[in-house]
Amino acid sequence: MSESVKFEDIELDYELPTLKREISQEFISMFGCGSLDFNPIHMDPIWAKNVNLFGFGKTIGHGQLTIALLTQVITNWCYAEGGKLKSIDIKLIWPLFPGDTATCGGKIVAKHPRKKDISFVDLDLYADNQKKKRVAVGKAQVYLP
Amino acid sequence: MVKLSDEARKLIEKYQKTEKQKEFQFDFFVDQSKYEKWEDVIIGTEGFGERTFEVKKEDIDAYVECTMEDNPVFKDEESAKKTPWDELIAPPMFITPVVFWIAGTGSGSWIRTPGAINPGQKIEFYEPIRVGDIIKIRSEAYDKYIKRGKRYLTYYSEFTNQRGELVAKWWGTLILPFSKAEEEHKIEGGKK
Repeated sequence: MSESVKFEDIELDYELPTLKREISQEFISMFGCGSLDFNPIHMDPIWAKNVNLFGFGKTIGHGQLTIALLTQVITNWCYAEGGKLKSIDIKLIWPLFPGDTATCGGKIVAKHPRKKDISFVDLDLYADNQKKKRVAVGKAQVYLP
Repeated sequence: MVKLSDEARKLIEKYQKTEKQKEFQFDFFVDQSKYEKWEDVIIGTEGFGERTFEVKKEDIDAYVECTMEDNPVFKDEESAKKTPWDELIAPPMFITPVVFWIAGTGSGSWIRTPGAINPGQKIEFYEPIRVGDIIKIRSEAYDKYIKRGKRYLTYYSEFTNQRGELVAKWWGTLILPFSKAEEEHKIEGGKK
């Protein structure tokens, strides 16, 4: 990490490096296995087509996968330097489908100075698909060294 | 009876590696009739909790792989030692497989409901999860409501480790399909 993630050095409106991921049925199925969420709405293209939930007619990526990618924006940014996620509050607006590309990012919106090691920042998080449609928004709090 | 398709099964078998993945009932249609239903949940009732999750390196590796994670803090013991963490930890959202493992097909089984939709989640993180930890969950039916014609169910869950330290608090919400009868109707309708 070239840039400092120290609480005192981080400025408001700082934008974290974004994370881009291609969503495929393989990725979704792999996530299902690793997370033990084998819901057929994610895992079974045939059932998803037949059940036609909300008229999508295809599988959708796990909401937990979108959330995992959003938290990766934070962990990629500061975990190796000793930052730590305090909380998240995520709203999932629209699914990620196989074939989509997700771009996830975040921005510092508040700083909470505290005693050593427990100062934390507030972040706004977002995930967009390749059509620039917002698929998730959220807030996170992160302790910084 | 509805079954998981061969196509879905093939993809799952490709990525099944850990002991837990192999033991886990991955066909969520099996025993579906026994899952807790939205209409039967009584707010304030305690649930979950019969099982524990014993964290093995392979469980963390599987989660790291399935999220295409490449952070040394979660991946590799040696590199993690060079960070302020001093040892390998699990990514914060590793609590996802923990919750599915512990819920199983017993109490908390509503999270397996085919067609359930994730509207978003609220989580607080405390002590990180490490290899060798034994994680327990204490849960309580926290809220259920109908909004824009959809049925929401929220459970509040506290995750603790073998030392009794708090690991996470999770207000977990799903939108549950209306009823099995209606679901079946939709499936039949879709097959025309």
